[in-house]
Amino acid sequence: MVTDEVLASVFAGTPVDHDTAAHYRGRLERRLLMNRCEDCGAWRHPPRPVCPSCWSPNVRPTAVSGTGTIHLAIFLHQGPPAEGVDYATPYPVVTVELDEAPGLRFTSTLVGAPNDAIRIGRRVRLDWIERAGAPLPVFQLADEAAA
Amino acid sequence: MIGARNPMKDKVAIAGAATTGFTPHNTARSQASLAAEACMKVIRECGLTAGDINGICGSALPAAVLQATLGIPEVTWFANPSIPFGGQVAAAAAAVHAGLADVVLAYHTPYRLPWNTANSLKDPFRRGGPAIPGAGAGPDTVAGGAGYTAWAARYLHEHGARKEHFGLVAINDRSNAALNPAAAMTAPLTMDDYLGARMIRWPLCLLDMDVPVDGADAFIVTTAERARDMALPPVLIQAAVLGMIDRNEEDQTPGLHRHGQHVVVEALRAKSDFWTDGMDVFFPYDGFSFITLSWIENVGLCGPGEAGAFIEANWDKARNRILIDGRIPVNPHGGALSEGGTQGSGHVREAVHQLQGRAGPRQVEGAATALLTPGGFFFNAQGLTLRKG
Repeated sequence: MVTDEVLASVFAGTPVDHDTAAHYRGRLERRLLMNRCEDCGAWRHPPRPVCPSCWSPNVRPTAVSGTGTIHLAIFLHQGPPAEGVDYATPYPVVTVELDEAPGLRFTSTLVGAPNDAIRIGRRVRLDWIERAGAPLPVFQLADEAAA
Repeated sequence: MIGARNPMKDKVAIAGAATTGFTPHNTARSQASLAAEACMKVIRECGLTAGDINGICGSALPAAVLQATLGIPEVTWFANPSIPFGGQVAAAAAAVHAGLADVVLAYHTPYRLPWNTANSLKDPFRRGGPAIPGAGAGPDTVAGGAGYTAWAARYLHEHGARKEHFGLVAINDRSNAALNPAAAMTAPLTMDDYLGARMIRWPLCLLDMDVPVDGADAFIVTTAERARDMALPPVLIQAAVLGMIDRNEEDQTPGLHRHGQHVVVEALRAKSDFWTDGMDVFFPYDGFSFITLSWIENVGLCGPGEAGAFIEANWDKARNRILIDGRIPVNPHGGALSEGGTQGSGHVREAVHQLQGRAGPRQVEGAATALLTPGGFFFNAQGLTLRKG
């Protein structure tokens, strides 16, 4: 397991702290971890130190399948500097409602599809890319063949 | 739990409001300079001196800096709540009502900084300002300004609304700003101009987003009783609400049907004596055009997804602006999209001037009540009801 010092430097600029460290350690192993309460079963993201539903401290970072449905979709014509992103083609950002629980969502970019195919309601699956020396969870359309 | 208790109702007043006016470029002035100008102006207009002030409530510029700048001899209470400006009004009013202070100077200095305009980087004295929160995390997020863009996209998806509906909000603001000498943007705006504007984050373009400006607004908040002895007509704070729900992260909020605005509306209605059928002037927030449509729907003027049609049905063709029931203007000062991105202080200032009968060419005849809904959805939805004293 990488040290806190290394984790903070790999994800510099990201708010890594004692509550979110496990999520970012998961990224290094290409596992998308979200907090699930061991007592009441509620999923919640971003990570909080207790379960907001039942106040149990037994929240466990748990891998999600990463399949879900696009809930929000925007296209950035400009944005912050990022490795491999030039915005010449508007950069898609999607919020995906994950299959694990209603209302449990994760936001990232979507790769491998033209922008006009990226629409609210489309099914997606999880993928990983490398960004500035760290794995970044991203999405791919799940039903390209069917579309 | 949403309560109706409101012992502060009509007991605290805004005794005056003043502005520097707003410019859409980098001035050769500091935030303290702009704040000082607006604060000196409002203190003088109320017939007060620095020694009468014993409370300070500001936004980003620390109260300590403002006090030292103006030589305010002593204060017994001060605070710097987060924006939008309903936060300053609520905190100042509560402090006055509770007796922590008697006469509070409240201020906000909209200022062009790296978080709202890259142009600020051309000024070496602005480069040290705060960046967009979380900006270092890259573009793969809907936190910050992208959050409203994302839910605007959802709004178009759920309701079959059109981009033109956002455009009507921008045009209304620009038409109103034409009569406001404090406004940053006053050139007439057509729907073709709007639809041709540079896209920033689809589906929102440059004209859907508030104008980064330099300037300041300042206010005197005191007891209703004390305000009656000051130089200008008092405006009573009937109710103030800062609404928020537990899932308040931009991408986790339940949906267009449930966020901070719904809490604000439920609480503000319960605490106030009037609602939309009793309002004379309306100030829905417009930091993003889409937020205005959302407030119009959530205060109950029309149903979900119907704000575009509502605006079209209440359009004043002669002045190219919204006039609800042919009577009630919406953001008559030009709002965040044309007066300037004041994070609500411009909306409060204009409401005060309207209720004091001091709004000049924009004056709504006999205006006695104002409904204000500063802020957006997630952790900054606010509501204020103000009435003539």
